[in-house]
Amino acid sequence: MNRLSFGWALPTYSVVLYAFLYLPIVVIVLFAFDAKSIPGLPLEGFTTDWFAASLGDARLVGSLLTSIRLALLAAVLSTALAMPAAMVLAWRPVRMKSLVLCLVLGPVVLPQLVLGLGLVVLFRAAPDLVGQPAIVLAHTTMTSSYATLMLYSRFLGFRRSYIEAAMNLGANEFVTFREIILPLIAPALIAVLLLAFTDAFGEFVVAWFLAGFTETLPIAIWTSLRQVISPKIYALSAVVILVTLAVSVSAQIWILGQSRRESEP
Amino acid sequence: MAMPGSPRRRTSLTALLPTAGLLPLVLWQIVFFVVPVALIVGLSVWRRENYRLIPDFTFNNYAAILARPAIWRALLLSAETAAFVTVVCAVLAYPVAYFIAKKAGRWRGLLLVAVIAPFWVSIVMRVAAWRLLLGERGVINQMIMALGLTDEPLSFLLYSPVSTAIGLIYAYLPLYVLPLYAAISNIHDSWIDAAMDLNASPARTFFEVILPLSAPGLVVGAVFCFVFGLGEFVTPALLGGGKQLMFSQVIQDEFQRRLDWPSGAAMAVVLLVLVFASLALSMKWIRRASGEAA
Repeated sequence: MNRLSFGWALPTYSVVLYAFLYLPIVVIVLFAFDAKSIPGLPLEGFTTDWFAASLGDARLVGSLLTSIRLALLAAVLSTALAMPAAMVLAWRPVRMKSLVLCLVLGPVVLPQLVLGLGLVVLFRAAPDLVGQPAIVLAHTTMTSSYATLMLYSRFLGFRRSYIEAAMNLGANEFVTFREIILPLIAPALIAVLLLAFTDAFGEFVVAWFLAGFTETLPIAIWTSLRQVISPKIYALSAVVILVTLAVSVSAQIWILGQSRRESEP
Repeated sequence: MAMPGSPRRRTSLTALLPTAGLLPLVLWQIVFFVVPVALIVGLSVWRRENYRLIPDFTFNNYAAILARPAIWRALLLSAETAAFVTVVCAVLAYPVAYFIAKKAGRWRGLLLVAVIAPFWVSIVMRVAAWRLLLGERGVINQMIMALGLTDEPLSFLLYSPVSTAIGLIYAYLPLYVLPLYAAISNIHDSWIDAAMDLNASPARTFFEVILPLSAPGLVVGAVFCFVFGLGEFVTPALLGGGKQLMFSQVIQDEFQRRLDWPSGAAMAVVLLVLVFASLALSMKWIRRASGEAA
């Protein structure tokens, strides 16, 4: 800490900004418990009926389950693609590395709208894939960028001496990978899986373009936003948001703790 | 690397491993990222006759879209909104990034995670929440009226470029805190203390030491905000109200409602050119700045 101090201004401001960041989330959770059927202030009494109602809505629950299934597939696929690639990028000299990195990170900066439309054109060649398979393929493309980036930085910080020690003791590449590398990066791998899942679960634009008759939860919410929204939607959203926050926060704290432990002498 | 085992098999195996590790991801990204972008670029020089796509090599689509005043209005609105959002995000994010990096002590990890956490919530849900907040009978209007600041609800809060800007600022603030945090935590406390020891006022210390040293973070954050803001679709579609369209909405409309894929593709290429120009410009700046520092 340095001596430049702004007194109470900085902490106070930070509290206000955090309040701003969490205001929409608080509002959704609040309205999920409100008794009125058209959400608005003032709140009129506490009820948990909307949670039961949202679980009774077959279409809504169906879209939630579809989202979970598709996001799981995309998370596993993108992690499986990202892990070997990140390992090679971090540890081996790679020819045309900057080109490969551009290729891998491109989807991050590409407007989702353009990727979505491009994929719509691409899947004209394979109309049978439109719907669930297309959504998984598209989300894997998007999440594998983040997954590769996160695993790449994890592998850069990895102590190579562990590998050398194992190899000096006679282990071959596969044994070293199974016995040394995999156990050590397992937490990072799980964290990346969780974040990829969260990202794919919430993605809307590209999924919407490729959905066909498939309805994911973001698509169901989008559709309902065109009419007066039932508090059912807020109830389900509140649950999903709290789970999302719990998952992403624990995954990130996990990554943080891991990199701190590695960097300590 | 001298290792036991048969040396020749091992070398060929190790030589193959990098390729085998990279190949699946590279192939995947070529098929599902490079090819779609190439298809859009290709489609933009085709033409459309009687609702059929005909292969061609013409720049008529570009000429036609650039002659439409609505396109220029949408493009201008998108660029203005993205620039405004970028500046506001920088101003709002800076003090928090400084606080987390320099004053939060052992809480910094947790505070940083707490800033980013809302970013992981689905964009559609976040935008739905802003509709609750900004509507004519929404939370913010009700509060302002309860406080007696106004008798009538502020109608410009929802379904206007103002609400789009609020939604985007909310969405990109976490993205701006991250690079700023990284840049500010790289500034040594001793440099700041040295400036103070030499009797620089807090303001002067900030403007002449801290701000210039955190410039890389400011630039990286600005690029991401601006680039994402230019192409953002969900927020303007749900909060913008549809009277004043942003560029991304015009592109989507051209593709899905007017079904004019070649013109839509030409617009998408214009968007891509703007995105890559912003990226290239900032890369050049960062390279020059780091070259000077070295």
